[in-house]
Parts: sequence; structure tokens; C-alpha cells
Amino acid sequence: MTTTPTDSVQPKASGERDLIIDARDVVKTYRTDEVVVQALRGVSFSVERGEMVAIMGPSGCGKTTLLNCLSGLDTINHGIILINNEDINRMSDNKRTEFRARQMGFVFQFYNLLPVLSAIENVELPLLVSGTKTGEARKKAEASLDLVQLREWAKHKPSQLSGGQRQRVTIARALVNSPAIVWGDEPTGDLDTENADAIMALIVDLNRQHNQTFVIVTHAPDVAARCHRIIHMKDGHIVREEIPQGASRA
Amino acid sequence: MSDLFGLSMNYIMIALVILLAVALSTVGWVLLRNRVLFWIGVRNIPRRRAQTILIVIGLMLSTLIISTAFSIGDTVDYSITNQAYERLHSIDETVQASAGESDNPFGSSSLVSARPMAAADASQWVQQIKSIGGVDGAVRVIRAPVPVKDQASGLTEPVVVLVGVDATSMQGFESDIQSKDGKQLSLTDLGANEIYANESAADKLKISVGNTLQLFTSGEPHEFVVRDIVKDRVLTGAVAGVSRGLVLNLSQAQALFSRPDEVDLIAVSNSGGVHNDLSAGTQIKAAINNTLPKPFLAASTKQDVVDAANQAASFLTTFFVILGLFAIASGMMLIFLIFVMLAAERRVEMGMVRAVGTKRRHLVQMFLSEGMGYNVLAAAVGCGLGVVVSIGMVRIMAALFADFGLSIVFHVSARSLIVSYSLGVVLTFLTVVFSSWRISNLNITAAIRDMAETTPRQERPRVSGVGSLIRYAFWLLFKPTSMRSWITSILVCIGGVALAAFSAVFYIAGVAIYGSSAASGVAAVLLFIAGVLVSATALVIAFTGFLRIFQLGGLAILLGVPLLVLGFASGQAFPAGAGLSLEIAGIALLGIQVGVPNRLAATAAGVVLLVAWLLLAGGQLFPSLDGGPEMFFLSGVTMILASTFVLVYNADLMLVVLTRAGSVFSTLIPSIRTAVAYPLANKFRTGMTIAMISLVMFALVMTSTMNSNFNRIFLGDDALGGYQVAISENPNNHIGDVAAALQSTGTDGAALADGIAVQDEVRHANQNTAEVRNVLLADTDPKSDAAKFSKYDIRGPSAGFIGDNGIKFQSRAEGLDSDAAVWARLASDPKTAVIDGNAVGGGGFGGGEFSLDGVKQGDPTFKPVTVQVRDATAPGTQTDVQIIGIITPKASAIYSGLFLSPATFSSIFPKPESSDYLLKLKPGVNAGTAADSIEKTLSSQGVQADSLRKLIDGFQAQNQGFSYLIQGFMGIGLFVGIAAVGVIAFRTVVERRQQIGMLRAIGYTRNAIAISFMMESSFIAALGVLSGIGLALLLAYQLLSSDEFARSGIQGFYVPWLQIIGIGGFAFIASLLMTIIPSRQASSIPIAEALRYE
Repeated sequence: MTTTPTDSVQPKASGERDLIIDARDVVKTYRTDEVVVQALRGVSFSVERGEMVAIMGPSGCGKTTLLNCLSGLDTINHGIILINNEDINRMSDNKRTEFRARQMGFVFQFYNLLPVLSAIENVELPLLVSGTKTGEARKKAEASLDLVQLREWAKHKPSQLSGGQRQRVTIARALVNSPAIVWGDEPTGDLDTENADAIMALIVDLNRQHNQTFVIVTHAPDVAARCHRIIHMKDGHIVREEIPQGASRA
Repeated sequence: MSDLFGLSMNYIMIALVILLAVALSTVGWVLLRNRVLFWIGVRNIPRRRAQTILIVIGLMLSTLIISTAFSIGDTVDYSITNQAYERLHSIDETVQASAGESDNPFGSSSLVSARPMAAADASQWVQQIKSIGGVDGAVRVIRAPVPVKDQASGLTEPVVVLVGVDATSMQGFESDIQSKDGKQLSLTDLGANEIYANESAADKLKISVGNTLQLFTSGEPHEFVVRDIVKDRVLTGAVAGVSRGLVLNLSQAQALFSRPDEVDLIAVSNSGGVHNDLSAGTQIKAAINNTLPKPFLAASTKQDVVDAANQAASFLTTFFVILGLFAIASGMMLIFLIFVMLAAERRVEMGMVRAVGTKRRHLVQMFLSEGMGYNVLAAAVGCGLGVVVSIGMVRIMAALFADFGLSIVFHVSARSLIVSYSLGVVLTFLTVVFSSWRISNLNITAAIRDMAETTPRQERPRVSGVGSLIRYAFWLLFKPTSMRSWITSILVCIGGVALAAFSAVFYIAGVAIYGSSAASGVAAVLLFIAGVLVSATALVIAFTGFLRIFQLGGLAILLGVPLLVLGFASGQAFPAGAGLSLEIAGIALLGIQVGVPNRLAATAAGVVLLVAWLLLAGGQLFPSLDGGPEMFFLSGVTMILASTFVLVYNADLMLVVLTRAGSVFSTLIPSIRTAVAYPLANKFRTGMTIAMISLVMFALVMTSTMNSNFNRIFLGDDALGGYQVAISENPNNHIGDVAAALQSTGTDGAALADGIAVQDEVRHANQNTAEVRNVLLADTDPKSDAAKFSKYDIRGPSAGFIGDNGIKFQSRAEGLDSDAAVWARLASDPKTAVIDGNAVGGGGFGGGEFSLDGVKQGDPTFKPVTVQVRDATAPGTQTDVQIIGIITPKASAIYSGLFLSPATFSSIFPKPESSDYLLKLKPGVNAGTAADSIEKTLSSQGVQADSLRKLIDGFQAQNQGFSYLIQGFMGIGLFVGIAAVGVIAFRTVVERRQQIGMLRAIGYTRNAIAISFMMESSFIAALGVLSGIGLALLLAYQLLSSDEFARSGIQGFYVPWLQIIGIGGFAFIASLLMTIIPSRQASSIPIAEALRYE
């Protein structure tokens, strides 16, 4: 059963570090009819603005759950999650949705584009949701597609694009609202090596050029290796952190 | 109801039960042979309860419609038969002077006997009839309508049937005169001034036992004391049209009517009581006729009424089944749609099942098990709800038929319920088998990976040189690329055609064996059903063969040509319209084949089809071709298909408009965008749902608009023919001069007379004896039914009426250029006549059974048509007259019948039955008040006075009532479309689970998701509703503004907006309600869970 986060844990100032994510003692339990699964067992974790963090671990270790909880896609049973110093679990569902629309972007393994909309319509959707006027939304969407070098494919539907192109559209959609954080759940998981490499290059480039924060859940070591920091999880715990060789922030 | 489509209902029931058993045993066989597959199918039923409920609703609609139609048929059958048995009671045959076919006292159109019989002769015949085997009684009867006043209540009734029955010969009829509580009464108990009043008379005049009644015959009052109130029976004066009656001894009645030596009929009772074996009557009737001198003949009265009840019930059942065909077809489309969606939902599952080794037939068995699970439940619910719907409809019918003296009582037989249930299950079973077979054809890999199944694209040949042009043309029309493919395709075609020819064997064998015994009857019904199935399969095979040979576009063009030729050769619009539609569709398909974009081709074809059908309806295209009611169905289906194509291929343009409109509420834009984008992406599903809603809306709005416009015909004063009040006199009390009659009653009467500006008389021939026939047919085809004399209202207008009336004509004889010229000709030429509009084009609705040959509805002029008029009881009265004018439908409601010149009428009918008087009132005199006062003042003479406006309003109300009844029934079909919207909504929630998660992730609130779903449904429903309304109004406008309808008196175009908004609003709101649950489901999907779902 979902409970409200613990009141006793007060938000604290980020201090000298410019923390964009500050999660403390996060617990998430799933209950089905007979089974109780503790997906997160008191996870504490923080990310600085402009940082690229990879979360790794075996299947079922809780990495996607952690991402879902951090991004407000799922609720937690205990703990506190501050995004840009705002406690997302104290927000109402509508407020949290609105917050997500303005502050976050998502890149999923299976793209999750709306098949019935063109690339540009998919990209401008988060803007329209957050109340941007249609004309302005279209301009921003075009700029975002420019960023991922897909401007000329703007009118194409997802089914007319390759896997790599689809993921670029997803990235354009994630970035169109200039979000504080982009969450990636296996963003290269459905791509071949070449496309996966290109997508990671794009992500790294966006991080460097725009100081864009990325939190990426991945199984792929070469994807994780291109991040600034790797968090290793097991059985709902963070078991260790690792700084990949040669990782350096712009 | 014992027959339907000419087949015994018992045989139909047994045949359907056998088919039901076959359907159920098929599933039973699956259970026994493949228990796992059976349970895989059946366990899906409780998986999603809301969806299951919706599927059951979708599946039950066809059964509901069938069950409603059967229940109404049963009700009508039961009501008429029951009333016939109750009122005729012991009477099985009646003996009267022969005067055509309307001689039974129950259904007689006139209360005055065509030709009385001498009382002494009748007495002798009674004895002879009684001696015939199987007869247990015969009695002499005299009767006539009389005005009656109840002294206690002061109430007066101008028409009460006074019956005199020979009290000395009541054997066999003892139970016909019964008190309300069932006590047997005897006429011999009546004192000299005593009388029995029947229940209807008692109700109307508030008569109690012991009250004194004043009867008027020949204007003279006679007083009687009511000894008891008796049941409504023919022998107590309850006949068709008038149920109020009084009964007393024959001799007293003869004295009152001043006809001491006459009787009107002999009533005969067969042995076996009221519910005896009717078939025995045939022999008895023949035996009676052998003993009677001509022109006196016996009629099987009870048998005739029971047969008529059966025919009426069969007609109504067929009528409602046909009315419901749109809805039944839509219901079957919905079943198909449901199963296609279920298959789409379980595609991966099905792919897996196939991958592990199951065969295609196993998938069919799986779906069949599930489908039959829904089916057996849905058909039962449909049957039950059909009964509930029919109870509601019967209530409305009861109110409508009350004016015709028919008491409608709800009744449904177990046989009808069994037939409805079995038919519902069998129809759904067949649809499920077809759907299952269709969806089981899947690509295993594509199914497992949930990828779209691709069909190889046909490469267009390159054009370079003459040879390649020929190749290109060949490619445009034909498909086969190898000799083997040609041979196979041709063989498939031949196989289909051969099977179609073979299917005739089933029908021939069915006809041959039907009726010889119960078993052969059932076998015949099964053969007919098998014939239909084999024919349908043959058509599918032949069509498949043609499709293997021809490209679709080429095939459409090819099939269109013979239809066009047939249409023009036969002068019929139906084949020509169908051929034209195929040509247009074929050209569009060819266009797509050569590279024209789908949107352009579909839009162009759709618009051209719409315009073509509107021009056809308005008579601007192919004006020389004739069309009947079937054109309504063809035009409806074609126009709906055309508009659906235009809509689904162009709805994205609406998105621009909606987005602009939605920009006022910027938060709605994302919802609008997804709400429109999804339906547009799935054109088949969207188009099918739009078409379902649109089709039913079209039928409803069309019926409503046409009826409203026809009803408005009566709104103007033209329908009144220049008069305000109509007075009918009692046949026993000739008035002659209404004003004088009023003046003779005193000061009040004189004042009423003073308000009359003009009074004109129109005499009536006895409806039992007045007959007419088409001379041309009698000469050219004397043996045909149409050449025979038919009963018709024959009227003798006075010279005053001819000069004063304002009745208009829809068609005039050549050379007569105005309505006044027609009337002037009638006044001056005794060999001429005019007739009401009901006699033209199948007519006979108002005036009788006659249908005028040689003039078509809508002809502005015609060559004078000669008809022959006669008094059937007076040989030698046959007279030829020329019809020179057809009265407008407006005026025909009041002025029905054939109007002869005064002199001709007098010569053929020297003793008219009665007269009508038509009054024009002085300015300021209220017609309604004047009519009531005149009727009251002249009550002792039995006159009935009516305001013509009030009469017309009554007709209108009745028409409207029937129209509502029909619309209500057709409206059931709307639920098919509404259910389709719901089914799609449920399906989309499952289908888009992950996308919903993504939308929630990027910022769609719960409300935005719910609104998006609601908007999506409302978008589909709105397109269906609006296209149905728009097309119906366009077609109705075209039809009503055509010359044909303009001449019928339709002026202007009236749109019944209130009704249309009501129907459309209901369909729209109900569709929205159907999506509330799926919308809520969609909005409450946990985001993380939805995103994980793959």
C-alpha cells in the first residue's frame, strides 16, 4: 500500500553543491494479492545539475523503479525526493504532472512515440500540454528537431522512421521544453550498435553543449562508460558508485 | 401468428431449434475434442467484465430487434383474433345478399344492409340451415344505426347499432347475450319496453340498469328501459367501427325500423362452441350456399377474421423485420468488429499458440467457444429486452388503434421466443464462425512480434513503347501473371457459378416437399436455409474468383456496365443507380492503381457519388427512370458509404478547424490533437463506426423529415376544400336541409342556422354495393384481378357542392387547364367523374379497394380514363364515366371516393344510403363550437358534426403517432452504433496502454487523458450523427422539391429540427456515456506500470 513520504525528513538546502536531484531513504514496496516486493529498500542518491549519471544493475534490482520514483511517474512509500529543491511526493497528481511537463524529459527504450502523429507533432506535444501557443510550439519543436538533425523528417510518422531516427525524435521531444532533467530508460536498448553509439554521442554532446542533466538506466556497460558517474544497484539497494575512466564534466 | 414468409411458424421453429442444436453441438464437440482450446476461449469471458457486458450488448441487438418484431406480430394476431372470437362469439357464418366481398358483419364498411331479405324467406332458410350437419343454430337478425339519448345522464350518441334478434331461434346462440358478470340472459325475458345495452354503449352514455333510453328512428322518439348491461358482441351491436349497441327482439326492431317483413342477415353457429374447429366451416358454408337462392350467400365470417388477423400479424412482423434490417445488418457488422478487435488484442497470444503447434482451425475453435459463450447469454438477454421493448411499443399501438375500435393486448407466444432466440444465436454463430475464420489467418512471426502484416505491393509496369502500353492496360484490368494463375482463377469462378446454380436445387426441393407433412415442412425450411447459405457461399467464391482475375477497379467497372444497361432497358432507376455507383467507384480504384493519392481518389469518388445520388433523387439525373421505395435503401447505403470515405480521408482538415477553435482553451489542444489523430489513423475501424451510426441516423431523420413534410400537407386550408364543418346524417333520418332542420328545433337552432353561409350536400352510395372497375383492363385482360369490380366510395355531389367547393386537383385531364374547369366539366357532362388521390398508384387507402389504372402519381395531366361504376345489387346499372381529375392528397383525406355528376349518381344509385353536408360558416363563427352545437341540437336525428380542421388534426396526430412508432423501432439500431463506440473505446484503452503512460509522463493530466478519450468518441459519434442528418436532409430536400412531390401538394421544405436534435442529441450523448468507463480506466492507469507494459 502506498503511504506518504516520511514527514520527519526535512528538505535541506543543497549547500555548495548544485543538486538537481536529492533522494533520501527512498522505499518502494509493491504488493500484489499475496506477494510483497520491496523494490527499493532505503535508497539515497543525488545528482548535480549538468551531471550524466548511469544506473546499472541486474534485472529486477530496482533501477527502473528508482527512475520512475525519482521522476514522479511512481509514488514512494517512504523517504523524500527533491527535484530542483521541490518535494515531488508532496505534490498533488496534477501538480506533479505539470511539474514533470515543465522540468523533465523522457527517453524510453521503445521510443513511445504516438504512431498517429508526425515527428514534429510528437515533439511539440509536451509544449502544448504545458500551455505554449501552437505557433510558438511549432517553432520550438522545429528547433528541437534541428538539434537532433531530423528537421527534414519532421512530417514523417514514426512508422516511416528507422529505430535510430525514432529515438532521436524521442530525444527531441524530451528536450523541447528545456527540461531540468532528462530521464532515459534503456535509451539504446532497442537499437543496433551503430545507432546506439550515435544516440549516445548525441546525448553526450547535448550534455556538454547545453549542460543538460541526464539520468540513464542501462544494462550496457559502454553506455554507462560514457556517463560521469555510474550507480550500481542490487536487490533494491545502491551497492556502489563508480566514476568511469576518462569521465570528465565540461 | 402461424405463418411467416409463407412458411409455417411451427416448421420454422423446429428448423431453427435443429440449427441451434447444431451450433451448440459444434461447441460441445470442441469441448470434448479440444478441452484446452475451449477453456482458453471461455476463460476470456470474465477477464474484462465491462468489456464483456458491452460485447453482450453488441451481440444481443439483432436478437432484440427480431424478438420485438415477433412480439408485435403475436400481439396483433392475438388482439384481433381474440376480439374476433369475443365479439362474433357463436357466429361462424353469416348469410346476406351477395354484394362483393365485404359481407361480414364484423368487417362491413356500411351498417346498412346491401339488400335485405324477406323475413318469411329467411325463416324458411333458418330451418334449412339448422338441418345441415355441424350447424347448431341459425338466427334472423335486423340492425341499423340509431341515435340514442340516456334520459338519466342526458348524454346523446348519434350512432348506436340497434340489433333485433329472433328470440324464438336462439338455440346455439344462448351464450351470446351475457351480462357483464357472465350470466346468460334471454331476449324472451325482455318486457315490451325493455332493451339490453352493451358495455360500450353503457360506457359512452353512462347507462345504468333501469335507465330510460330514448331511441330515434325516422325522427320519432321511442323509450326503452335498460334491463341489463350485456357484453359487446356482434349480436348486441358491437361491429367493426362502432361497438356501441342495443339489442331487443326482432319483431320490436322491425317495428321500430318500419320494416316488419324484412331482416338483414342470418347468423349461423357451428357446433363446438366459440373456439370450434374453423376448418369445418368450409363444408358448412358450401352446404348453406347450396340451399340458398342467389344472390344470398354465406360467408365464413369467423374464419375470415382469424385469417385476416394472421395476415395482419405476418405483415407487421415482416414489416418490422424489414424495418430492422438496417439495424440487424449493423448488429452483425458490430459482431464482426468486436471479434476483429478481440483478435487484435490477443494477436501476440494467438501467434504464440500457433507457434507451439496449434493449427488455424484450432484458433477458430478457440474464438468460437468464446463467441458462443457470449452468444448464448446475449441472445437470451436480447430476447427478454425485445419483449420489454415491444411492451412499450404495444402501449403506443394500443392508443393508436383505439380510434379504430381495436383493443390491443400484449401477447407473445413461446414459439416466437424460441424462434427469436434460436435465430439470434444462429445468426451470431454464423457471424462468429466467419469472423473467427477471417482472423485466424495470421502471420505467426508478425503476430508474435506484434508487427503489422504487410502485403506485397504491386509493381506498376513501366511505360515505354506500344507493347508496354498494352501491358500497362492489361495490368490495370487483370491480376494473373501466369497461365497457372489464370486457370486457377477461372476455375474458382466457374466453381462459384456452378455452386450458385446448384443452390437452386435446395429451393426447388424445399418447394417440392413443403407441406406434405410436418417432417417434410421442417426439412423444407432447413433446405431453404441451406439454400441461402450455399448461395451466399457461392457468391463469395465466384466473387473471389473474379477478384483473382480482375483488379478491383476493373471488376467494378465491368460489373457496372450490365447494371447500367439493365437499368436503361427496363426504365428502372435501381440497377442504373447501382451501375453508376460501381462505375464511379471503379474509376476511383483505377485511379489509385495508377498512382492517384488515396485521399484524392476517395474524396473525388465520394463527392461525385453524393452529387449523382442527390441528382437522381431530385429527378435531374436519369429523369426518365422510375424508382420505388427500394431506392431509399440503395441511396441511403451508397450515400453513407460515399460520405464516410470523404470524411475519413479528410477529417484531418477538421483538425485544423478544431485546433483553431480549441486554441481559445489552450489546455484542450493536446487532447483534441490525439482525439482526432487516432481515429484518422485507423480508417477501417473509424469508418465502420461512423457508417453504423450514420446509417441509422439517416434512416431516422429521413423518416422523420418526410413524415413531417407530408403531415404539413394538411396544415393549410387546402385540405378543407373550402368548407369548415362536415355533417353526416343517420341513414334512418334523412336531413335534406341542415339549416331548416336546425330552425325547426327552436330559437337556439335558428341561431345556429343563421351562422351557416353555405350548405352543400354530397350523397353516399351504400359502401357494400357501390363498385368500380377499370374499363381498359376489363377489355384487355378481363380475367385479371385488377379488371374486377372493386368496392369504392361512390359519391353524388349536389350542383351546389360542385359550384362552391375549393377542392384542388393534383392531376387534370388534358385540355382542362384549371381546377375550376374540371368542376365545371363535371357539372355539365354526366359522363365524367373525379376521384381522390388515394386511388392513384396502388391507392385504395382512403376510398376502398379500387386502384385507378392509366394515371401515375405525379402526372400533371393525363388522358381521361374510363371506369365503370355499378350498384352490385342492381343489374343493369353499369355506367361508363371518364375520370377527368385526381384530387390532391391534401383534400383526399376528407374528400375521398369517386365523385359522379349529380344526374349519373341518381341514375345508378336512386336510393343513396345517406348524405354528408358540408358547411361554410359566416365570418366570426367558430367551426368547432358550431359543429358541437349542431350535433347536440340535432341529436335526435342522429347527426354527427365535425369541424374539418379538427378532423384533419386528428389524422395528423394519428400519422404522427405511427411515424413515432416506426422511428422508435428503427431507433433501436442506434444502439448498435453506440455500442460500437463503446467497444472501440474499451479496446483503445488496452491498445494504447503504453502510449497513455507516455502521455502521462510528458505532462498529460488524468483529466486530459480522459477528455482525450471522450473527445475521440465524440468525434466519431459527431461525424456519424452529423453526416447521417446532413445526408438525410439533403436527400429529403431533393425528393420533396422534385416535381413529383410538388404536385402532391408539398410546399416548401420543413425540417423537424426538434425531433432531429432530439435523436441526434440522444445518439451523441449515449455514445459519450459509453466512453465514461473506458475514459476513467485510461486516466487511472498507473504511469510506471503502463510504461513497463510491452
